[in-house]
Amino acid sequence: MRQLYNSLGLAAVLALLIAFFGFQSEYFLTWGNFVAVANQIPDALLIAIGMTFVLIIGEIDLSVGAVLALCGAVLGVAMVDWGLPFFVAVPITLAVGAACGLANGLITVRWQLPSFIVTLGMMEVARGAAYMVTDSTTIYIGRPVDWLMGVTVADLSVLFFGALVVAFLAQGFLSMTIWGRGLLALGSNTEAARLSGISTSRLKVLVFVGSGVCAALASIVLCARLSSADPNMGMGYELYAIAAVVVGGTSLLGGRGSVVNTVFGVLTIAILGTGLVQIDVEDPVKRIVTGTVVVVAVIVDYYRGRMTKQ
Amino acid sequence: MLKQAYVTLALAVVIALSGCGGSQPEPSQDPVAEAQENRPVVALIMKSLANEFFKTMEDGARAHQSAHPSDYELITEGIKDELDVNRQVQLIEQMVARGVDAIVLAPADSKALVAVCKRAQDKGVVVVNIDNKLDAAVLTDQEMAVPFVGPDNRAGAKKVGDYLATQLTAGDEVAIIEGVPSAYNAVQRKLGFEDAMKAAGMNVVTNQSAGWEQAKANQVVSALLTSHPELKAILCANDSMAQGAVSALRAAGKLSSVKVVGFDNISAAQALLKEGALLATADQHGADLAVFGIEYALQMLASGDTPADQETPVDLITSAS
Repeated sequence: MRQLYNSLGLAAVLALLIAFFGFQSEYFLTWGNFVAVANQIPDALLIAIGMTFVLIIGEIDLSVGAVLALCGAVLGVAMVDWGLPFFVAVPITLAVGAACGLANGLITVRWQLPSFIVTLGMMEVARGAAYMVTDSTTIYIGRPVDWLMGVTVADLSVLFFGALVVAFLAQGFLSMTIWGRGLLALGSNTEAARLSGISTSRLKVLVFVGSGVCAALASIVLCARLSSADPNMGMGYELYAIAAVVVGGTSLLGGRGSVVNTVFGVLTIAILGTGLVQIDVEDPVKRIVTGTVVVVAVIVDYYRGRMTKQ
Repeated sequence: MLKQAYVTLALAVVIALSGCGGSQPEPSQDPVAEAQENRPVVALIMKSLANEFFKTMEDGARAHQSAHPSDYELITEGIKDELDVNRQVQLIEQMVARGVDAIVLAPADSKALVAVCKRAQDKGVVVVNIDNKLDAAVLTDQEMAVPFVGPDNRAGAKKVGDYLATQLTAGDEVAIIEGVPSAYNAVQRKLGFEDAMKAAGMNVVTNQSAGWEQAKANQVVSALLTSHPELKAILCANDSMAQGAVSALRAAGKLSSVKVVGFDNISAAQALLKEGALLATADQHGADLAVFGIEYALQMLASGDTPADQETPVDLITSAS
């Protein structure tokens, strides 16, 4: 019930934002603009889905942007230098993402370290590795990857639908499976979860692997959009994802969260970004507004949490 | 439950108000604009607005538009730093969705921006490339052509390098601080510096990228000063990085023994030239560059065909000039 209320509240905020920008700019409420927004969010959404799970168990993953860049770099090298076809290069890319996540998870669990530090380290390692494999230059892949952008249903790219499917499956996993409930339990009280027979270490590692795989999926989206693998890509994505997930009402302290609300969080930030461009706001103002919205959303979340307890 | 609804509403109001604070007056409320409903819309999309070079470019474009209000409507956008390539792609997509007639683009990456330009052209938008040239091989692969209006960065960098060489003796150790290696103009400037240094018989001990950014250049140069104590000159591919180099030299007390050159002639560089901390820079007339691109786009919109690429001037700037 509370879940439903949260979603409704977010949908209301989104509707108000859309109405506001629609009122301010004649271009905003057009099909073309809607398509532009929809086709821009799959990468951010995928990263945010992985991040939702990480935040639910009370951890954080700062490495996603850099892991994305490394995965993209590997995709580029695999396709251009090794001449592998797309469908062979993709599993390799996913494996790289999973390996980075596995390293994050195992190190965090084995030495009981704060994931903030472990993933901060991975952020540097993966970014450096991305520069190393690409020789610090953009690898142009071209049609073998950007055909993905051309596969559309009613102008909406297949990548958009793909990301929605991943969100759907992730929500199903979270709310319908025993592991999903285990994650929520783990996030609210690790010790209690462990005593009730949940394999907390294994679940934690699994969540980090999931986050890495999401970053790898996002890298494929970005490579398709840019027709190339750019070692600089994904910079700052970790903060964007954390902001989107938190705006969606997932708690930074763990134990609470939903993928559906993350979808709304990503949409809110994307609509804000697009809307502010459409009404010709100056760049510094855009950043101030976006930052303010994130903080206000967390303040609202604080009151929401308090009222639920009462 | 009701209280929760109020909180949500309050959030929405805050968002709406913060949006209002920054919004511009509606163009259609302006009687002059109303009379010019049919003028073409040109979007100028630049790189980092934190770099003064692009701020100058934006100001130049705005001044030009104010002088020719009936010819076109101008939208200017930039990205937060030089590396935010995806954001630039998104901006182009949004401009296309908004239905602009032409896009004048200073691409943050020579390869990764080509595909989105192709998508814009397919939707009938005129695209003009300024400042940093799109990669020729990638353009061929995408079976498209984008006219380029801009300076010959390699020749410009060579001019600066040649001048520096007159102040050094053959065999002196020099270092090159590059921009983002994935950008065409970064590569061209590096090549221009190398041309000049090779011709004068200098010893280029290292090539390092500082990603066009001042802070990064400061870090890189500080490290270089320790590893190459005999360094006599530092060639920076833009003035922001030259500024970073100068502050690193100042901190190390080597400002008088190591010469620094830059590129772009931003206002901070003029101050450094005056005090002698910077030896030379190159002016590629950033304010005019966007204007050339816009005029070119308007010409293409009017005539319907693509004129040849246009080279814009680059001048050597020293404390004497």
